[in-house]
Amino acid sequence: MTTPKGSLLVQDARTRKRNAAEARFKTYGKLAIGVGLLALVILISSILGNGTSAFRQTEIAMNVTLPEAKLDKSGTRDMEVMKKVTTLTYGPILAQGLADTLAAEGIVVEGLTAKDIDAMISREASAQLRDRVLADPSLVGATVAITVLASGRIDGYYKGRVSMESAVLDSNVTPAQLRLADALKDKGLLVTKFNWDFLTAPDASDQRPEAAGLGVAILGSAYMMLVVLVLALPVGVASSIYLEEFAPKNRWTDLIEVNISNLAAVPSIVFGILGLAIFINFAGLRASAPIVGGLVLTLMTLPTIIISTRAALKSVPPSIRDAALGVGASKMQAVFHHVLPLAAPGILTGTIIGLAQALGETAPLLLIGMVAFVREYPAPYTAADGLFGEPSTALPVQVYNWTQRADPAFFERASGAIIVLLIFLLIMNAVAIILRRRFERRW
Amino acid sequence: MPNELHISSAFDRDLEGVQALVLKMGGLVEAALLDAALALESRDDALAAKIRKGDKAIDALEEQINVEAARIIALRAPTARDLRTVLTVMKIAAALERCGDYAKNLAKRSVVLSQMAQVPGAAGAIRRMAKAVQLQIKDALDSLIQRDVALATEVRARDAEIDQMYNALFREFLTHMMEDPRNISACMHLHFIAKNIERVGDHATGIAEQVIYLISGSLPEEARPKADVTSTSDLAGRG
Amino acid sequence: MDDLRIVERDVTTQIPKITARGVDVFYGDAHAIKSVDVDILDHTVTAFIGPSGCGKSTFLRCLNRMNDTIDICRVTGEILLDRENIYDPKVDSVQLRAKVGMVFQKPNPFPKSIYDNVAYGPKIHGLTRNKAELDAVVETSLRRAALWNEVKDRLQSPGTGLSGGQQQRLCIARAIATSPEVLLMDEPCSALDPIATAQVEELIDTLRSQFCVVIVTHSMQQAARVSQRTAFFHLGTLVEFGETGQIFTQPQDPRTESYISGRIG
Repeated sequence: MTTPKGSLLVQDARTRKRNAAEARFKTYGKLAIGVGLLALVILISSILGNGTSAFRQTEIAMNVTLPEAKLDKSGTRDMEVMKKVTTLTYGPILAQGLADTLAAEGIVVEGLTAKDIDAMISREASAQLRDRVLADPSLVGATVAITVLASGRIDGYYKGRVSMESAVLDSNVTPAQLRLADALKDKGLLVTKFNWDFLTAPDASDQRPEAAGLGVAILGSAYMMLVVLVLALPVGVASSIYLEEFAPKNRWTDLIEVNISNLAAVPSIVFGILGLAIFINFAGLRASAPIVGGLVLTLMTLPTIIISTRAALKSVPPSIRDAALGVGASKMQAVFHHVLPLAAPGILTGTIIGLAQALGETAPLLLIGMVAFVREYPAPYTAADGLFGEPSTALPVQVYNWTQRADPAFFERASGAIIVLLIFLLIMNAVAIILRRRFERRW
Repeated sequence: MPNELHISSAFDRDLEGVQALVLKMGGLVEAALLDAALALESRDDALAAKIRKGDKAIDALEEQINVEAARIIALRAPTARDLRTVLTVMKIAAALERCGDYAKNLAKRSVVLSQMAQVPGAAGAIRRMAKAVQLQIKDALDSLIQRDVALATEVRARDAEIDQMYNALFREFLTHMMEDPRNISACMHLHFIAKNIERVGDHATGIAEQVIYLISGSLPEEARPKADVTSTSDLAGRG
Repeated sequence: MDDLRIVERDVTTQIPKITARGVDVFYGDAHAIKSVDVDILDHTVTAFIGPSGCGKSTFLRCLNRMNDTIDICRVTGEILLDRENIYDPKVDSVQLRAKVGMVFQKPNPFPKSIYDNVAYGPKIHGLTRNKAELDAVVETSLRRAALWNEVKDRLQSPGTGLSGGQQQRLCIARAIATSPEVLLMDEPCSALDPIATAQVEELIDTLRSQFCVVIVTHSMQQAARVSQRTAFFHLGTLVEFGETGQIFTQPQDPRTESYISGRIG
């Protein structure tokens, strides 16, 4: 069959159909990307919308008198005596301070009771004041200017959660308090400013969302990542090198390969059960310790590292190995002097991705008990509990925790914690990209 | 030599080597020619015998040059000027080998002539002609080494003079033969000798033309100037 | 003048450096090399030519036991280097490869600096005692590889930044840095342009005075240009082995003639 000769300037039917199909395919592609981007935009805007307010906190500035009569019965600034004074005593002192400040500034709000004034201040503030006085006993008897956290509802008023109308129905706040807050704000005594404590303070109880922070969670996650890095990286890389370079190619190694790939696909909660059974029940390690969390996450991350290391080793061209062997290097020298440095970018990237995944894992940590409410910063090493043995919590677990609590302020906190988590992930990925670029330049 | 060098120095050495062989061969042929003319003039039979033996060396060189050239073509696959160099060298070797044979023939005949009465002035004229032809060969080979087209063209032009010399000798021998029939035998030999020397001159011109081919890539277009009238006219009638 | 040439062309020693007797190579069940006997002389360039798949590269790789890295490859027979069998179980192939260097088809410098490329071999074999000696070895090797003048100002720049011909010369410098006795070259110019090829061939000609060089090439013209002895392989057997000029002007075996004149293969 002879094809009729046609002009190049006129497209024949087949070409037109093909071009149309390609144009359609491109449109589908663009639509798919559009949908993905839309989802991403919605997700990020909702998180940012809910969470950025967690980084700001409302504070009240006031002058408070610290009466010696109440705070230091002995009059000698004896620590033992002063420690006996609990936060219950400090509470009214703070309330009095606020009342004095109102009087001094000439702020009058109708319908305001003494209880209202008291309730303006966060419960956390009395503990903070007590800590401050115990740290510096010379303050006793003086009048100091301090800033204290406003209570959760007042904070919520400035973040849109509480309004005059809802205050009428709310048992925790009255409209009078809101008016007082506005009056204080007008005088410049009440400000909403950036809250570093969100990142450094430990968790707080249900009644004090304004004081809740991520300090403990961040530390716990950091310890666990350290454990994962120190354990998973060498073990993963070493086993991968052995499998790729030294192991004989027979059915056993094939079996091992298949199983490692399968391990990567196992649901993470299974690793939690595994950790519970082995590390806590069998080995007797302490539940909710970062070491246990680290070990569980190591098991989870190991397949990822092994697989990415193998891929990186495979990508090194065999000509480099041949060249090394040709110069008279032994197999081990060839691997360690030449193949490994070339595979390093791939290995690093795989490790950091594995770490980033581990950072965000929640299910296994729940099972090994890292859900506890922990107020003290865990120390890296204690004689009693060993390395990373003190109980802690982790970032994703903290998010889970906070979303369980009733106060809508905690929801804001949870969103803020998600933002922090995302920032860490972004930083880790950026580090991965930078490191990869740096190593690849030398290729 | 003004050529640029090859990256492979062995290639340069091979080409230089084969050209050196040609020069060596040329030297031998020039010497044979002059010596043969001298042997004729001085009636030196020992010298003539030596020249005849020496022709073997000239033939051996021609064979060696051919073997070398074949080797260069097989191993180096020369192109362009290199190829023309190798081809030219082979042709020049063949021409020089013929010249060597003529010199040998001259020596052979001089032995015969030394037994006969001398023809006055003949040996001198022959010697002068041999000298001129030797100069032709020398200049032709010089033009090869120096890659000098002008020199080669000059050699080509000078062939006319050689032809004139031959014409003059032809007439002279004819005259001698007509004067005294007893001279015929000697003059016949002398005539063949003169003819051979003239052929050597033609070969020298051929060498010069090959050199022009090597340098420019094509043989010269104008016919070489020919002044030999002996084959086209009857000189006997002009007494 | 011609005497000099003839001396150059002749091999200056008749002492065999590598002697192979009855060498057979099997890839699994496939019989790749069939009972090859050959004597490779010292201070000579020996070329292996033949059509694709004739086994010349396989045989070359037997000479420094690079075939050991291939699991299914089995070598029988005897290969003597200076009268010692290199397949003797007591021989460590790593030590062997310091004596028998190799240059590959595609230039494969390490992704390190030029200095480190050349210094790697001497370092791992402990051939030098201090940095000064190592510097000297690097300079000598680069000079012998005709690369020194081009790179002496940038020894720390990466080896992969050089042109193709320079990279191959760097690989040659790397191979000769361990002062091997034999240099094996597996189609060293096939990835290079004609000028770089000519430079490498000229280099091989100068290396001949110090090493025994064996070169595998699929270009007969290259074998003709660069070698003094040529071995023609066909379907795993060594068909003819002799002086290069002889092989290319008057081959003895009709198969050789067919291959050289372009009738087979």
